[in-house]
Amino acid sequence: MAATTESVKADAAEAPLLNQKNLWAGISLYLVFYSFIRWYEGVYGWSAGLDSFAPEFETYWMNMLYIEIVIEVLLFAGINGYIWKTRDRKVMSITPREELRRHFTHWTWLVCYGWAIYWGASYFTEQDGTWHQTIVRDTDFTPSHIIEFYLSYPIYIITGSASFMYAKTRLPTYHEGLHLMYLIAVIGPFMILPNVGLNEWGHTFWFMEELFVAPLHYGFVFFGWAALAVMGVVNTEVMAIAKLLKKDLA
Amino acid sequence: MSAQIPISTFKPYRGEKARLARAYDYLILVLALFLFIGSFHLHFALTVGDWDFWVDWKDRQWWPLVTPLIGITFPAAVQAVLWDKFRLPLGATLCVAALLIGTWVTRVFAYHYWNYFPINMVLPATMIPGALVLDTLLMLTNSLTITSIFGGAAFALLFYPTNWPIFGMFHQPVEVANSQLTIADLFGFQYIRTGMPEYLRIIERGTLRTYGQYATPLSAFCSALLCSLMYPLWWHIGKWFADTRYLSKI
Repeated sequence: MAATTESVKADAAEAPLLNQKNLWAGISLYLVFYSFIRWYEGVYGWSAGLDSFAPEFETYWMNMLYIEIVIEVLLFAGINGYIWKTRDRKVMSITPREELRRHFTHWTWLVCYGWAIYWGASYFTEQDGTWHQTIVRDTDFTPSHIIEFYLSYPIYIITGSASFMYAKTRLPTYHEGLHLMYLIAVIGPFMILPNVGLNEWGHTFWFMEELFVAPLHYGFVFFGWAALAVMGVVNTEVMAIAKLLKKDLA
Repeated sequence: MSAQIPISTFKPYRGEKARLARAYDYLILVLALFLFIGSFHLHFALTVGDWDFWVDWKDRQWWPLVTPLIGITFPAAVQAVLWDKFRLPLGATLCVAALLIGTWVTRVFAYHYWNYFPINMVLPATMIPGALVLDTLLMLTNSLTITSIFGGAAFALLFYPTNWPIFGMFHQPVEVANSQLTIADLFGFQYIRTGMPEYLRIIERGTLRTYGQYATPLSAFCSALLCSLMYPLWWHIGKWFADTRYLSKI
């Protein structure tokens, strides 16, 4: 028994500072999942996604919408609840080596956040522009919207909130107070989702054509700027890690 | 005269801290790349997207006016941090390259492979030359004022000439059904876009006070002035986003 405890302690001390396995697993998770989504929409966008009043639309697209929303709410609550529940209650007394390891785990989260933002804000957002030019939509829940608004946006929101929660609960750097730019970098892009409310209202009653540069879309733009606040997080992280690397790593 | 140090006496430090600092460089780079692709692409697609999506929107009056104006925003903001804090002279090029990666991936995998628009119809414009000049000027002068005035102007003035080699060929005239069209117009008529009637295009239609062939240079110089003003504005926005303040409550 004693031997087991000893070996566990030794393992913990020797654990890599940057767990590359987790990093690659995180990146691959989004890549594989979104590649599947791209395949799914490629096949079922054309075979079941053209007429929203047809029964196959219900089967292949509306059901996807209902399922993804339920899973996202559960994931958001589960991941953030878990991170909060397992928070470090003595975060100010960890060793410099452990602190550095957590900074790198935090960076794994941040990289995943950037990756998730890429898929949501770049790929699936502009992709919606081309779907608008392929169909004359007969619902607000087009295949492209079901993926863009209600899948890719919630996924980066969950990733961003988890990243913030990880930093807040495990890193001394963020223990005191709330990092203003970190809040903006997470809440700003989150607000893009509620802004869908304005977007759909506007497209229903105001702009009838699909002009991508219409002022109606500027709400998305404004909240998208908030992602730049990650530069404040980078500044804080660079200062914290530089301080740690100056010290002895043990 | 610099001191001649023989290479053999210089031993790079390869210890754990060096490896960690290097790993951290990669993490920052990956985060920056994908986050800037995401947020810059969102901002760009929803403010000047239609001009960038379609070859028949790439006119002389609006396209060279608005594209540099919107395109100089994120480069200025990111330069403000990368240059001021890290003396990295690549903020503008990083942003513009990120944007191009994002647009190209979407044009190929969404516009072309999902919805079958020909790639030639949806080629993105380039701002790389302007970004290189902007970065170089900031590096050489280390001056916000000089980079605003001359860099901002260069960013706008270089836009049309450096895109001409890509898009010039689509301006060949053709006669179709007794009308004179450009190849670009023909693309627009031939490959149907359901949400884009022709009247929606915001392109030059001529006025009674437009003289000679001056449309393009006029737009370029107007854009140069606006870019010179946009640049310092976004420089300060970038500064603000790099803040490291903490709040006690939200």
